[in-house]
Amino acid sequence: MHGVTGREQTFAFSVASPIVPTDTSANFALPVDSEHKAKVFKILSLANPHMRTFHLSWISFFTCFVSTFAAAPLVPIIRDNLNLKKGDIGNAGVASVSGSIFSRLVMGAVCDLLGPRYGCAFLIMLCAPTVFCMCFVSSAGGYIAVRFMIGFSLATFVSCQYWMSTMFNGKIIGLVNGTAAGWGNMGGGATQLIMPMLYEVIRRIGSTPFTAWRIAFFIPGWLHVIMGILVLTLGQDLPDGNRSTLQKKGDVSKDKFSKVFWYAITNYRTWIFVLLYGYSMGVELSTDNVIAEYFYDRFNLKLHTAGIIAATFGMANIVARPFGGYSSDLAARRFGMRGRLWTLWILQTLGGVFCIWLGRANSLPIAVLAMILFSVGAQAACGATFGIVPFISRRSLGIISGLTGAGGNFGSGLTQLVFFTSSSFSTATGLSLMGAMIVACTLPVTLVHFPQWGSMFLPPSKDVVKGTEEHYYESEWNEEEKKKGMHQGSLKFAENSRSERGKRVASAPTPPNSTPSHV
Amino acid sequence: MATRAFLVTSLLLSCLLQICSGAYFSSLQRTLIVTASPKAGEVLKSGEDKITVTWGLNQSYPAGTDSAYKTVKVKLCYAPISQVDRAWRKTVDQLTKDKTCQHMIVSQPYKASNNSVEWTIEKDVPTATYFIRTYAYDAEGQEVAYGQTTDAHKTTNLFGIEAITGRHASLDIAAICFSAFSVISLFGFFLVEKRKTRVAK
Repeated sequence: MHGVTGREQTFAFSVASPIVPTDTSANFALPVDSEHKAKVFKILSLANPHMRTFHLSWISFFTCFVSTFAAAPLVPIIRDNLNLKKGDIGNAGVASVSGSIFSRLVMGAVCDLLGPRYGCAFLIMLCAPTVFCMCFVSSAGGYIAVRFMIGFSLATFVSCQYWMSTMFNGKIIGLVNGTAAGWGNMGGGATQLIMPMLYEVIRRIGSTPFTAWRIAFFIPGWLHVIMGILVLTLGQDLPDGNRSTLQKKGDVSKDKFSKVFWYAITNYRTWIFVLLYGYSMGVELSTDNVIAEYFYDRFNLKLHTAGIIAATFGMANIVARPFGGYSSDLAARRFGMRGRLWTLWILQTLGGVFCIWLGRANSLPIAVLAMILFSVGAQAACGATFGIVPFISRRSLGIISGLTGAGGNFGSGLTQLVFFTSSSFSTATGLSLMGAMIVACTLPVTLVHFPQWGSMFLPPSKDVVKGTEEHYYESEWNEEEKKKGMHQGSLKFAENSRSERGKRVASAPTPPNSTPSHV
Repeated sequence: MATRAFLVTSLLLSCLLQICSGAYFSSLQRTLIVTASPKAGEVLKSGEDKITVTWGLNQSYPAGTDSAYKTVKVKLCYAPISQVDRAWRKTVDQLTKDKTCQHMIVSQPYKASNNSVEWTIEKDVPTATYFIRTYAYDAEGQEVAYGQTTDAHKTTNLFGIEAITGRHASLDIAAICFSAFSVISLFGFFLVEKRKTRVAK
């Protein structure tokens, strides 16, 4: 993915001027760098193009989450209308998250070819018919198929993150991406409130239950169309305009996909994070699918009460995911990468423990408390994951991010298949077992070792050459590529990543053959 | 003396617990006779067909059995075959947790005989196999007796109901129109913009 830069140490809302020079010749509402990417993140502004892009992007992603999980709070009605069994409901949940495993991988290429604006608009407007298709469904097979197709729209995650990277400077991209992703994920919570409310209103107007839920699906469908049109008319690919009307700059040489892919899949840390994200984001998506029905059945609540409780799970994303990223940064300030790894392990394991508690809770207040604590743990772990992912590789960051994202969906599908589709145990038992699996699958984070920074239990390598950031990031390029100077970006990144040593930065000897830190 | 006091308190406690946790189905007496119009194996359509239910006290029980019965509720209940793989319809002995009978036909004050009701099957009744059960309640609103159209194992005299699809031609047309609008406006915009940049070059 072009233009996606690494996430830097500072979690500030703005970048200090001396480090990244401001381009004073540019005429934008926000201060920009030499690529015209914004250096400042003003959340409440709608300034064109940077902040407007941010809002178009996260709201599109939010809309796709709303439509993908729109069926979940209405399952008590849908299961009676379509005569579903537990297996059908579970399979539909698996289908809803499986579609995007593939579409997220494809979206990266689409953004490269057509730009993020068309990538987002194409996906969201082509998925609108699939949402409207819900009104045709009359069997379990149809229900599963439609949920699978609607699930493709979750690939807007990729276009959202890609688009942010073209608009915001590398030093604040972590916060921007984390906020956009977190607010988008909130859609999974908002839908649990919106859909039962719409259903109630439509029923009051006079519709029968088995028709009312179908009409309710029109609203997410219209949102898709509206957001698609807004993205096309108000959005632009790059700060200076749309990619088709600009001449491409020649200073970033195009990298070979096969090489980038190779370095992504041969790095063992990629696969550990694919597994880990499957048990933070994955369990969040699974819970979005089962929690409303769980509260409705276990505690005999009304549909919209169950929806409100289920909504608080997803809505916690508004602060929980940024909180995870922030904790990761805070820990890194003192303890470097080791701090980030420990933060991730603690948050994700706590999430798992609270999930076990949720399944065992027999009274409503305890169940709600356990659910809220579980949501904070899991979502903060998502934020903390993407505090580490940018450091795994500089060359293959895009593909690794895409693989990690796809891993989240895969984990969700697997979890729903194993714990929530079979009739041999109850949903409550399924939740507790899922919690136990979270704790077990978070242990591999202890194996993540960076020669230059160490791991959770091991110190960094004492070797003068191998223990440097430059060596780690340079090892992704061969001699031929280094002669062409293709690795310069990685070297610059390596220099900046020295902050991941924590408090030891001052005492670290400057490695030979590298530029001093202050030029 | 102490053991007697202990026995009495434990008996009182268990009675209290029963009242607090509600009645258990296994403790109810089947003193009511219930008959319904659907024949065994018949399939009815919801929203259109009617069911006629008649119920009354079984006269073979001694007089005074029904002294506590104050109200009666007639309910449509799921047969075991419709409960398979559907934990939200599970039969549980503790009646406050039991989900077998989820559709209310009628609720009336108790009368020993001449009870009859004609009920049009409501449109939110799902496709399944059913039987009908009548519960008798005391003044506190707790179940004290019941009667049902099927046998104790819920295997005989079951009938089916076919639900409405919930689909409407108007909805289908609206969905097609909006979908077409979405696709056409997307490709329209794309082509117009492509043409503009081609002209500009």
